[in-house]
Amino acid sequence: MAADLLYGLLPEHLLLGLIFILMLLDMFRANRQLGGALFAAVLAVGSSLLLYQLFRGYSIELVPSEIVIDRFALLGRLVILGCGLVFGLCSLMQANSCKYWILLVSSLLGALIIMDSAGFASLFIGIEMLSLPAFALMVSFTGSAGTGEGAFKYLLLSSVASALILFGISLAYGVTGSLAIRAFAASLSSGGVQNLTAAFLVLSGFFLKGAVFPFHAWAPDAYAGARLQVTAFLASLVKGAVVLGLARILTSLLLNGEIVATITVLSLASIFYGNIAAIRQTTFKRLLAYSSIAHAGYMMFALADSTGARVEALLYYVSVYALTTIIACTCFSLISHGEGDSLDLLDGAFATHPVPAGVLALAVLSMAGIPPLPGFLAKVFIFKNVVASGLLLPSVLAFLGSYFGAVFYLSVAFRLFSTAPAVDDATGEVGKNTAWGGVLLGTALLTLFTLVPGIFNLLL
Amino acid sequence: MPESLTILLLLTLPLAGALLVGVLPARNSILPRIVAMASMLVVLVLAAGLFYNFDGTIAGEPLGLNVPWIASLGVNLHLAVDGLNAYFLLLTALLFPVVLGSAWRTREAQFTLYLALLLVLEASLFGTFLAQNLMIFFVFWEAVLIPMCLLILAFGGEQRRQAAMTFFLYTLVGSVLLLAAVLLLGVEGLHQTGRWSFEFGHLEQLHLGWETELFVFCSIVLACAIKCPLFPFHSWLPLSYCEAPFSGTALMAGVLSKMGAFGILKLALPLCPEVSAVMAPYLEMLAVASIVHGAVIALRQEDFRRLVAYASLSHMGYIVLGIFSLQNTAMHGALFQVLSHGVTVVGLLLVLSVLEQRLGTSWRQVNALATSAPHLAIVLMLFILASVALPLTSGFTSEFMILFGAFQHAMAAWTSGALPIQLGAVVVAATVMVLSAGYMLRFGRTILFGESSCGTPLWDLNLREAMVFFPLLLVIVWIGIWPNPIMTRVGPAVSRLTQQVAGKSGLPLALSSLTSPDGGANGR
Repeated sequence: MAADLLYGLLPEHLLLGLIFILMLLDMFRANRQLGGALFAAVLAVGSSLLLYQLFRGYSIELVPSEIVIDRFALLGRLVILGCGLVFGLCSLMQANSCKYWILLVSSLLGALIIMDSAGFASLFIGIEMLSLPAFALMVSFTGSAGTGEGAFKYLLLSSVASALILFGISLAYGVTGSLAIRAFAASLSSGGVQNLTAAFLVLSGFFLKGAVFPFHAWAPDAYAGARLQVTAFLASLVKGAVVLGLARILTSLLLNGEIVATITVLSLASIFYGNIAAIRQTTFKRLLAYSSIAHAGYMMFALADSTGARVEALLYYVSVYALTTIIACTCFSLISHGEGDSLDLLDGAFATHPVPAGVLALAVLSMAGIPPLPGFLAKVFIFKNVVASGLLLPSVLAFLGSYFGAVFYLSVAFRLFSTAPAVDDATGEVGKNTAWGGVLLGTALLTLFTLVPGIFNLLL
Repeated sequence: MPESLTILLLLTLPLAGALLVGVLPARNSILPRIVAMASMLVVLVLAAGLFYNFDGTIAGEPLGLNVPWIASLGVNLHLAVDGLNAYFLLLTALLFPVVLGSAWRTREAQFTLYLALLLVLEASLFGTFLAQNLMIFFVFWEAVLIPMCLLILAFGGEQRRQAAMTFFLYTLVGSVLLLAAVLLLGVEGLHQTGRWSFEFGHLEQLHLGWETELFVFCSIVLACAIKCPLFPFHSWLPLSYCEAPFSGTALMAGVLSKMGAFGILKLALPLCPEVSAVMAPYLEMLAVASIVHGAVIALRQEDFRRLVAYASLSHMGYIVLGIFSLQNTAMHGALFQVLSHGVTVVGLLLVLSVLEQRLGTSWRQVNALATSAPHLAIVLMLFILASVALPLTSGFTSEFMILFGAFQHAMAAWTSGALPIQLGAVVVAATVMVLSAGYMLRFGRTILFGESSCGTPLWDLNLREAMVFFPLLLVIVWIGIWPNPIMTRVGPAVSRLTQQVAGKSGLPLALSSLTSPDGGANGR
């Protein structure tokens, strides 16, 4: 049993050990590059371990109806660790202390616990561990005044969300007498006021954390206040973990008509609001915030399906979206050299920085869902489920919403090419920055997703 | 060489060329251009070989390349020559080296970005035309937008940003509904056969309800009408045609606009035969409106590029008219018009581009070409004559066949009791050919004759330019004089298509007219 606990939760243990080592390093003021290197190494080991377990078909119920390692847990953790690795490589140069890495690892640990959880207790712990370090990440390492406001909004609304989820869980406990998610899911399908209320409360908690319209108001300020790499972390990994957490609860459960209707309306509103509000943004982080609201809408839209292919679609969408966001942010900071986040910095960037500008253009086009980029496939996976569930009109509306999205994604891509490129190539910046390693790894993963779109179907 | 390998090379060679061009040193080097041109020429040889070996038989599923991509969804990278796409394939393969050859010494051709974009564009066009899987078709159809848009954006004129944005967003409107239709077809297939598949052969077997079929048809036709473009969805056209670099305009008018026609042929007719039969008269009228509108506006244009843009709108209308006549002769005519218009419009634009390369911005004032550069003048005149459909040129063969077929179709509808509106439309379309002679000859007279006013001497055609124009003229004359050997290759595919529409509609073609009971109500 002890061996199983060690082996099954080895990625978590690795991260825990990493936190301790980083604390020690921080105490002894070790070389600050060491923290990043350790982070990358441990995440790489964790990912390969998960891959090994995945191919061995490992699955075990460690704590009955609380911690269960199944295919989803393995895959979800793999997605989180893989994206975390790419993110870590991308922010290797900008991280200026071990504290940054400690907070990052704690947040990732929370995400991993969400993926393992089969009961509400561990789920709740995971969610809190995910968001609290993110809050600390936002306020630390920056001197600007706007940060406090955004971070405070995030903290406040995040705790409201926690309260909602907690209240929903207690209602569910009142019905089933158990904290197991499966028991709740079983009783949810029977309907009833208390069940529905519990479901709505839990859902709105998740919607708040995931910044879905109309629970989105904290996101633009919080994103704009933080540093670019923290914004990237919030938009990619935190949001991805929340969405995957929802997928963990609902799996391929058939939802009630009321819940489906609510989800459809909210996600459509989110898609339209995010995409339309993003058109008028002039700074990259706010653009990212609104685009992430829209993407949250697409991800929630996947919950409206009744064909049972929701989990696969969400895993694909989350991994593609998280990787694309990380890559886009990294390319932006490579272009802007960390000076501000106005979109004007991108004007004519292809002439001066051809490689990051090209990658950024591809990344935003992928987010817009232009084929044959992976963002398109991710949307197709979600939409085909929804259309197959008989919701043709909402899907057409969602397509229209993504059309508005194309407007601002395109305008970003257009800024890059707005002046004709100079004949003599810009050279010299390539190779000095370790962020290239992250971009390269992320692009390689995205290429893999494009070439083998059925990858999660094969692994799940 | 097996067909699948050739097709794979058609797709991968340009992409490999684009990658190679991307890493080559750009500075003052001719090497990137040579690499790009070499890959285009090899592709041309391969495509010509495919066309030559294609004997027109279409027994069962087309073979070619078939690799699973998303196995769980039945999306296979299935590419093959099936008759309908044979002309499109040849046209694409021919026009790219021609366009690059003509742009050889221009400013944009010095950039590796330009060459890479051209090659990516070529690969995605091949993907679109060869696709035998609806999802693959859609992916390539959209992928074409990115390189074209960037071509306008990076190398266009003053208002390039606006032009690129308009082009992209306008085209994307059609695609939004098209994607919905694609998914809906997949879901219909899932419900009827229990598995996901987007193969054309599979989707054609489905029995769609009237409402579904109407939705699918309208989405497809909207997307194609924007691409073509067809009146009233053409408002992106003048801006994009005028702001793009000449080579970009040539490709847009020559190849990209043909994607719309191809979409109708490949998607709308076989997938929605019943609705096509009912809606055909309306679309014929739309096509005639397009022909008239383009010709009338072209008459009033002073700018040659705008004139060519609107003339192109008018000529694309003939293609759509031919397709929706649902009749063998007209369909053959429409396919010839694809080749003919592609070659002619590219020829006209490239002559203008030669003038621009010689004279800079003052090319718009050029005249008396016949005395200063007689060879160029002869080439230009030949393109103009093909454009006004003079007998013995390709324009005549195609437009005559289209009008002949459309006339037969309209007569059949009239004799079976419909109002003679369709007949009137065809007569109007035939009359407009006079207008087209009007604006094209006025255009020719302005450029070719008159007092020479520009001070700089004008060099006549050099060898490179002559080699660029020669294949275009060859196609024009060949189709004009001896179209039969080309026609036999697409014959079976065309008659299969017309039979599909005629057979499934349940009534003889002549009856599918304005008065069709359920079409009249739902079609509005």
